[in-house]
Amino acid sequence: MINFYSFKNKSYLVSLALIILTIIIIFFKGLNLGIDFKGGLNFEVKSNLTTNQLNEYFDFIDSDREVLIKREVGSDVFSIRIESGNNNPVFIEEIKNIIDQNPDIEILLSEYIEPTFSEELIKNSIYALASSLLVIAVYVWIRFDWQFAASGIFALLHDVFVAIGFMSLFNIEFNLTMIAALLLIAGYSINDTIVLFDRLRSLTSNEENKDNFETNVNNSIKLNLRRTILTSFTTILALLCLVFLAPVNLTEMPIVFIFGVLIGTFSSLFLVLGIVGDLNYEAVLKARDS
Amino acid sequence: MIIFKQWRLWVSLLLLIGSYIFIKPNFESQTSDSKINFGLDIQGGFSYLLELNEEEYLNNLLVKTSQYIENTYSISSSIDNGEIVISKNQNLDALTNIVIQNLGLEINEKSDKENSYIFSKQSFNKSLSDMTLNAVEIVRSRVDFLGNKELSIQKVGLNKILLEIPGDLDNNVKEVISKTAKLTLHLEKNNIVGSKTFINEETGEQVRVQEIPNITGDFIQDASLQYNQNEPVVAFSFNKEGSDLFAKMTSENVGSRFAIVLDGSLITAPVIRESITGGSGQISGGFTNETANNLAIILKSGSLPTQIKIIQEKQIGPTLGQEGVEKGVIASIIALIAITLFMIIYYKISGFFTVITIISCLSLLFAMMSLLNTTLTLPGVIGIVLTIGMCVDANVLIFERIRENFKHNIEDPKNHGFNSAYVTILDSNLTTLFAAIFLFAFGFGPIRGFSISLIIGIISSLIVTYIILKLFINITSIKYLGLQR
Repeated sequence: MINFYSFKNKSYLVSLALIILTIIIIFFKGLNLGIDFKGGLNFEVKSNLTTNQLNEYFDFIDSDREVLIKREVGSDVFSIRIESGNNNPVFIEEIKNIIDQNPDIEILLSEYIEPTFSEELIKNSIYALASSLLVIAVYVWIRFDWQFAASGIFALLHDVFVAIGFMSLFNIEFNLTMIAALLLIAGYSINDTIVLFDRLRSLTSNEENKDNFETNVNNSIKLNLRRTILTSFTTILALLCLVFLAPVNLTEMPIVFIFGVLIGTFSSLFLVLGIVGDLNYEAVLKARDS
Repeated sequence: MIIFKQWRLWVSLLLLIGSYIFIKPNFESQTSDSKINFGLDIQGGFSYLLELNEEEYLNNLLVKTSQYIENTYSISSSIDNGEIVISKNQNLDALTNIVIQNLGLEINEKSDKENSYIFSKQSFNKSLSDMTLNAVEIVRSRVDFLGNKELSIQKVGLNKILLEIPGDLDNNVKEVISKTAKLTLHLEKNNIVGSKTFINEETGEQVRVQEIPNITGDFIQDASLQYNQNEPVVAFSFNKEGSDLFAKMTSENVGSRFAIVLDGSLITAPVIRESITGGSGQISGGFTNETANNLAIILKSGSLPTQIKIIQEKQIGPTLGQEGVEKGVIASIIALIAITLFMIIYYKISGFFTVITIISCLSLLFAMMSLLNTTLTLPGVIGIVLTIGMCVDANVLIFERIRENFKHNIEDPKNHGFNSAYVTILDSNLTTLFAAIFLFAFGFGPIRGFSISLIIGIISSLIVTYIILKLFINITSIKYLGLQR
């Protein structure tokens, strides 16, 4: 029988290392912000040209404007992203005409976002995320105890943050759809965590074995282990199908989510209950007796 | 038979029949309000997010309010930096607190000489929002006149309008939605004071006219494309009030010129040959069929309250959407088959129950989405995938609990196991549900699409597990559930 609780200090170290690594990666590589958050033009085009040939069309653009051309893996689809600056309709028309009038390029998708609006989108996403995190914290606090709420929110932020680091490392574009993927990871993470909390609560409220906190933690994990592995496995199975079959511009999302599932499984098995213990939940249980 | 004594059986049948009834309209050709719509990212099309100019609106509102105070209470005021400043060297008795409040104003600064007022945040936002609703109708009628029938147009936030049109791009759309279309008629005036020169940007023609318009486009009742000696012109007619003004202006000024100005630039400056009493006129000047038609559409829809700016523009070709749907459907079906195969191999009969539960969950989900006339987008599909994941997870939790109870010889392992697992499921699903509701309330675009299908999905999953899965567990002896190992 694995003693999960005894691993907790080592797990904290692993988690700390992951967080530091993420900070370093984001610091040096930055986030590959899409036009949702930066404004500008974005095209998905189908073409037989090479990346270099495509690049030549946009050579005339000032070098302080970012032009990013990327071939989607294993296809003849390219994504072209061009920074436009604020209120610049002439430039936008010019770029559109270049792409529109080229017989070798077929436009699948074209998109423009005014930079002032993307600032609003960032604000808006942060509000949405923050408010839903708050709701989760309050709900867990009401249903359980504050130690659980704190630990659950920590695990959730940890999983989402490390997933952002993963995206930065592999240069995956950060856009509104990716926010949905991160939310998916958050939802998955909190779901997993609460299942464990529920078990721990029911074990600790049982008269016979409530005294040994460590055993209770281990039993909670052990009794849920099969479920955790099964659920992760079926989810990853479904996601793998999406990776290989999703349209070219959407393959990145399931990859990020698979990473999220793995990291979420790690944090629920090794982190959350340890944190609850270290927040001195035992004292709460003892106080309840007397 | 024990099965007929189960209330769950009848509820299950009701659920299935209900789902069937609500899903059915999606496969019928006629349009209906209870159908799932497909987002632009799925069916292809183009969308514009328009923003009305908040600052310009504030200025208009300040001018209007200041004029109102002057006309109604004979109190003069000036406008300075977003404030209405009222000097105290006049009789201010009429300006009671109630009047100020009704105007939506609140005091900003008081001094011995003057008081300054600003619009209260609440009243300004309400007014801004009303203005946007009005603009939505104007934009809708403009696009309607172009003959786009399936468009969706809605107000977003306080001063934004989202316009979505499925299908191919019509270049005229951008043209007609982005023009403010402030049409004004000005009489020629030669002294410098109170006059302004307007220039025709194409021909270079210019004319000096009085700055305050004699007649505005607000009086226009109808406008259409017509031909004058084979040349396209825009014919317009005024309503009663406008006709009277127009007749008065033309009869008093025979022989002089007047300017027709659209959005600040001169279109044409004809000479008045005789008084025009019919209340109708024509605008000519180098139109093509298309531009004349666009102008007629804009004029009859009325002018927008402020300038409009396109802050987001999206165009999705039908191939990408089509490919997305085909691949997405294939991927989902393969994923479903993979999961069901795995569950059946692992849980035997119980795994088979999971398959039925998932299918019922999906039917209920689509039924509710149809009923609510939801728009399904690709992020929405991802929300559905998460829902299936949570539904499978619920099944696994229940089966594992029953197995555990069975192993420890706990009395009535099926009911006990189901009930204790269902508490856990409620806790975890409700947390996600509340989070999703808040995301829906505050989010935008893809985030909303994702959260709406998650909300509906969680509800369906909770219902079908409680009704349908439990029904199957109840009627199957534990020996056959396949959970003994």
